[in-house]
Amino acid sequence: MPDLLALVVQQSINGIYLGCLYVMVALGLTLIYGVLNQINFAHADFVTVGAFTAFFTATRFATKVLGLPDTGGYLLSLVAALGAGALLGLAVNAAVFAPLRRRGTDELRPLIATIGVSVLIENGQLALFGPIPYQFDSPLARETLRVGRIFVSAQSLLVMAVSVAAIAALYAFMRFTFIGKALRAVAQDRETAGLMGINPNLVIALTIVIASALAGMAGALLGPVVVLTPFTGATLIVKAFAIVIIGGFGNMEGTIMAGLLVGVIEAFTVQYLGSGLIDLVVFAMLLTMLVVRPTGLIAERKEENV
Amino acid sequence: MTSRRVAIGVAILAIAAAPWLLGTPYWRGILVLGAMNVLLALSLNLVIGYTGQLNLGQSAFFGIGAYVSTILIKTYGWNFWLAGLAAVLAAGLLGLALAAFAVRLRGHYLAIASLGFAVITYQVLLNWEDVTEGVRGIYGILPPVPSTAGLFYVVAGIALAVYLLLDNLIRSPIGDTLRAIREDEVSAASLGINRAVWKAFAFGLGAAIAGLAGVFYPGFVGTLVPDAFGIIESFTMMAMVIVGGMGTMIGPVIGAIVLTFLPELLRGFGELRLMIYGLALMLVVLFMPGGMVQAWNALRRRMS
Repeated sequence: MPDLLALVVQQSINGIYLGCLYVMVALGLTLIYGVLNQINFAHADFVTVGAFTAFFTATRFATKVLGLPDTGGYLLSLVAALGAGALLGLAVNAAVFAPLRRRGTDELRPLIATIGVSVLIENGQLALFGPIPYQFDSPLARETLRVGRIFVSAQSLLVMAVSVAAIAALYAFMRFTFIGKALRAVAQDRETAGLMGINPNLVIALTIVIASALAGMAGALLGPVVVLTPFTGATLIVKAFAIVIIGGFGNMEGTIMAGLLVGVIEAFTVQYLGSGLIDLVVFAMLLTMLVVRPTGLIAERKEENV
Repeated sequence: MTSRRVAIGVAILAIAAAPWLLGTPYWRGILVLGAMNVLLALSLNLVIGYTGQLNLGQSAFFGIGAYVSTILIKTYGWNFWLAGLAAVLAAGLLGLALAAFAVRLRGHYLAIASLGFAVITYQVLLNWEDVTEGVRGIYGILPPVPSTAGLFYVVAGIALAVYLLLDNLIRSPIGDTLRAIREDEVSAASLGINRAVWKAFAFGLGAAIAGLAGVFYPGFVGTLVPDAFGIIESFTMMAMVIVGGMGTMIGPVIGAIVLTFLPELLRGFGELRLMIYGLALMLVVLFMPGGMVQAWNALRRRMS
């Protein structure tokens, strides 16, 4: 039996590692939804842009131009990806969300416009980078920690550490800073928050930038894990939606739980059913959830939704 | 009514003349593609334009139409038209399955559910290799009529017939019912409209029409792979509907034709085709929410 136990522990660790990445992506979607009640369909494409930014920073700029060691170059690429995500967030807010909000919009027009943004980014990347998958080797993936029969790569430890730190920072920001409080106020009631002297436009812009920066950095962490092509975001976005729905739209705790859950389920699906069936399993879960419990895993505490 | 008859006459003449104006095999192929896109745009417009249900899963029905008809023909030796009929019915039934979600869900939730639905359909086509051949694809599929011009006449004729059918439907009380659901579901229900039945009707009919377009696709291309029915196809259909003018009859037709031909004129730029679709989708939603029909009406008002 220790074989089976080791396998289960190993796959759980792999699943949590993957889940941490999903949480970073899905949290941004849920954050934007919570504050704005709108969906940024291009969100996962920000992840891909982040991944490509990190790739070129780590393999070209940092090591070749700055002469940094591999690990230092990779860590720098995380920051570059974060910045790229933040810039994209600024851009999509200025180009799509802000103008549509000014003119008054239904809930679906921003979704359709950002589908356009998504198609544009993906095919723009295809024109720039070509269809062949990029081999993004993280120097940390080579270092492996071995405990008995369990193997943990330094890359996965970094992913878990960074995502836990990012989530903790996000929580601290929301709870303890004035801007975080303003953000929650806008999420609860935009008009009343506006009457209290909060500038909702600024808060919304900030939310989108934070969410997009998270997505960009997730790209740098995800790049070495997935097959990196211009269309990585297209497969990721549907999974991120599944997580957000399973967790309850706009519910941060639910999203975190659902992200980890999907990661673990995915790891075991690969182990027992084959990798071809991952999407089938995840989306069967999504559709079941929509029919049985469209409000998500933990929906009772609605007043805390952000 | 007479102006409508004139319009139908002009449409028939245009269809008849098109393969002679664009005489090369390449351009005739683009014409067939255009006619198929018109069918797809009409099918999606019924659901999102007239019934107000944001459906991102239309590519699934296109794919089901293509796969069911091809498998019936290649594996079971059915006659093309019989297999096509069965495929249209299969797509329509699958549309009813998606409608089951639409009855319970609205707005964003429906959009995502339909997206998941399309992904699952795509994954089934990819993984059920015993039946669909998966990524290997099905090869050597013959069109129902040998010449490209002939195929264009068949598909364009069907598209015209479907247009007229939908046009009559939209003018009938059924059209009012669908529009009532679009404008305000709760008020529609309070007027005694059975939302579940009419949503199922729109999804089922829309899916059947998309399936009908799918029936002609494999013979036209000659091969069949699941990648032809990824969710990007749902987005290109949506681009056609929205660029042309959602919720009008003629808008999606114009959108489909423009977005089929415009990228062809810019050939040689490779990936530009889909970039144009993406950009068009974004710009039209931002600056011209009523699409080309709205722009045309505004222009005409300014002239007069």
